[in-house]
Order: sequence, then C-alpha cells, then structure tokens
Amino acid sequence: MAHVTCIEPGGREVVIEVASGWSLMQAARTQGVEGILAECGGACACATCHCYVDEAWLGQLPPPSAAEAQMLDNVADERLPGSRLSCQLRPGPEHDGLRVTFPARQI
Amino acid sequence: MFRFDPYSPAVDENPFPFYRTLRDEHPCFWSEEARMWVLSRHADILAALGNWQVYSSASGNLMDELPNRAGATLGTTDPPRHDRLRALVQHAFTKRGLEALTDPIRGLVQEQVAELAGRREFDFVGDFTAKVTARILFRMLGLPPGDDQEVRERAVLMVQSDPATRQKGPQHIAAYEWMQAYAAGVIEERRRNPRDDLISQFCVAEINGERLLEREVLLTVTTLIMAGIESLGGFTVMFGLNLADFADARRQLVANPALIPDAIEESLRFNTSGQRFRRKLMQDVTLHGQTLKAGDFVCLAYGSGNRDERAFPNPDAYDIARKPRGHLGFGGGVHACLGAMVARLAVKVIYEEFLAKFPDYSRVDKKLEWMPSTTFRSPMVLRVALD
Repeated sequence: MAHVTCIEPGGREVVIEVASGWSLMQAARTQGVEGILAECGGACACATCHCYVDEAWLGQLPPPSAAEAQMLDNVADERLPGSRLSCQLRPGPEHDGLRVTFPARQI
Repeated sequence: MFRFDPYSPAVDENPFPFYRTLRDEHPCFWSEEARMWVLSRHADILAALGNWQVYSSASGNLMDELPNRAGATLGTTDPPRHDRLRALVQHAFTKRGLEALTDPIRGLVQEQVAELAGRREFDFVGDFTAKVTARILFRMLGLPPGDDQEVRERAVLMVQSDPATRQKGPQHIAAYEWMQAYAAGVIEERRRNPRDDLISQFCVAEINGERLLEREVLLTVTTLIMAGIESLGGFTVMFGLNLADFADARRQLVANPALIPDAIEESLRFNTSGQRFRRKLMQDVTLHGQTLKAGDFVCLAYGSGNRDERAFPNPDAYDIARKPRGHLGFGGGVHACLGAMVARLAVKVIYEEFLAKFPDYSRVDKKLEWMPSTTFRSPMVLRVALD
C-alpha cells in the first residue's frame, strides 16, 4: 500500500491510499479525486487519465511502456517531463508519499 | 410479455422507453429476435467493457456482423493481437497530427456552409453533414476527392440490416463488397506510390517481424473508411438534431461557442449514434439471476447505459452543463473509440462554423425516417428551416 497525494485541477490536495495491485487511476477515482476521465477504463487506449508526477519521484517509477509513451502524445493538456497516464502507474510501498497533479484538461 | 427487437423500426425511432424497461425489469434480457443477451445498465456494460477476456470481440462487434470481417480489424480482435494492431494505427491519430488538420477541416466546413447561403430550408443530412464529414475523412485518409458521396452512400448502407428478415440484405452485402473493392484500390495505389500517411504505413506494417495479413490490411482500411464516415456523420447529425430540438442549449452555444465541447459530451451521452455493440462470452457468467453460457452473444446497449439513472441523475434531460463523466458515447475498455479525438475536434469545428452562420434553425418534420440499423442510430433525412 502507498499513500499518494493527488492535486486536483482546482488545487485541492487529496491523500489517497493505493492498495497493492491497483492503478493510481483506479484508486484516485474510487476515492473521489477530481480531474480524471479515464475514458477507456485503464486500457492505455485513450489519454484521459493524464497526470504530472512530481519531478522528485520521476526516476523512482518504472518508465512508460512503448504503448504509454505513444499515447502520451495525445494528452489534451501540455505534455511535460513528468507526464504519465495514471492508469499505467501502480505505486507500491516504496512510493509512499508520491505526489501527482492532475491537469485542467483531459479532453 | 416484454420483447426487445433491435431490428424493429420502433426501436430505430425511439429505443429509450425499451431501454428503461430493460434496465428496471430485465437487466439481463434474452432477446429472441436478436438471439443474444442484452445488458442495459451502465455498471454492467462498463464491467463487460473492462473484461475482454470474458466478453470477447473476436467474433465480431457489430450487432449484425459483416461476413468475414471478425478477427481482421481493431474492433474485432482481442489483445494481444488487438493491441499491436492498435499501436500501428494509433500513431496516425495523434494530437499533433490533428492540430495540423484543424485549419484544413475548418476550410472544408466553411466551403460547405457557404454552399447553404440563401437557402430557407434544406436537408441537414444530405445537404450538409453527409458532405462535410465525408470530405473531412477523405482529407484525413488522403483519399482522392470526388468519390466521397459515392463512398459515403455505401458506408451508410453497409451498416444497415433488413428489419423484415432480421439480417443483412443483398444490398447491404453489395455495399460492403463495393467498399472492400474501393479499399483494395486505395491500398494498391499506396503500395505503388507510398506517402507519409496512415494507409501507406499500414500496408507495409509488421507485427513481430511479420507482415499483416492481407485480410487484416483490407478489412481494417475498409472499417476505417466505414467507421470514419458513418459514425462521424451519424453523430454530427444527432448533435445538430439535439440543437434543433433544444433551442435554449443552441442559443447558449451561439452566445458562447466555448460551450460547444460540453454540449458535444452531453450529446454523446444523450443519444449518440453508436447505440449497441456486441461481444461473445468466453465462459459462463451469472448475472442478475441468469446464467449466460460460454458462446452466447451479448449486446452492450451503450445508449441505455447512458440513460441509466443509476449513473446519471435525471438522465432524460438534455443538459449541456452536465459534463457527464463516464458516458459510453465512445464505448470503453481496450476498444474505446480510436477516433474519439478526431470526432471531438471535427464536430467542434463543424458547429463553430455552422452556428456562426445559422444561429437559428428548427426541424421541419416531427416524425423522422430513421436508419434501419441494429448498431447505429441516426435519421436518414433531417429537413431544417432557417428562422
């Protein structure tokens, strides 16, 4: 399990618990975080669960797969170095304290 | 006894009362006429979309599948083959590519809108949306202009079914075969004269060092043309119909075009053109007290899930401020619509231009002629009067 701080487009910070095996997208949506559409439900088939991972954490997450990297071309808001699809992130205990920001636009 | 016959003209015209009964009384319903189960609640459809291992697309995804198509296209394969095919096509649908298309699309729309100048009444489908959406798709796929209306007629015909025989009629199969021949011609031309475009790349693409099967190339290109023209065209009409019927919403968009994207999302929820798709069960499933057997087909009634009060409060109200999250207008799961971004962009540009010139219009006929299709829903003709 990991605690992750999600910063919503409006600036509100929500600390969520991500159970082992869950994606950040699933956990954040279930716990009411605003700013995620996740139109494809976590299949890496859209780009509407885009988030910015805090730079301090970037190197500690597995890099994007080829499919995620390709899909990141399609995010609606600005693509930044910390851009990831939250459906592809599965934080474990080693990521406790992770901080991510959800952008204003997902479509 | 309640029946749900997706071939019935009554369902083409207004499926929503049937959907309500399905959701409330028969959430897992065996349709004798369609010979498949029907799932109508939002949560059940969403769960099925997220579970391709059980709800397989490999035996086809159209309610009435076209012969020999299943297994050869994006929508009719399961992972991992699906994911590899999708990766090949996906890169042609990038945001960057689309941004480059915005100005050309706007130019096409302006030409089409200009053709309507001076008219008091016209067919919104035949005189406007059919032309503009086909031309946009032709531009996107780099198809030779000029044939677009002939191609569009076939695309619309091939997705229809015969309501009397409850299957594809000879005219629908002929349209499908015509479209395959057309696609084959385009593929051949691209192989001779490759360009930097989707079809050229797809013709020579490889998965794990192996070329795609000829059938995959042919039917995927056929489907891209069909889906691009029919689905984009169908939704563009439905959005225009909603704005004719809900004049307050239209006036808000005229006053503030920045609201158009929100209204598009609400129309995708309210009555999108892609109403029903199907899956085939890979194992027995028990749902709402019924046992569905491996091998059974299941209809996922997106149009019903989008009106499910369990997911959307006051679902029968058209409310452009709703911002509906989780609507099924583009499906979901691994098969979530590849063209969603293109569609959002194209429809936005079409209506920015159309409403700027024609802020006030109303529909002439109370009763419309609806396309006979088990999968898609849109009117064949929509006469509008300019006020």
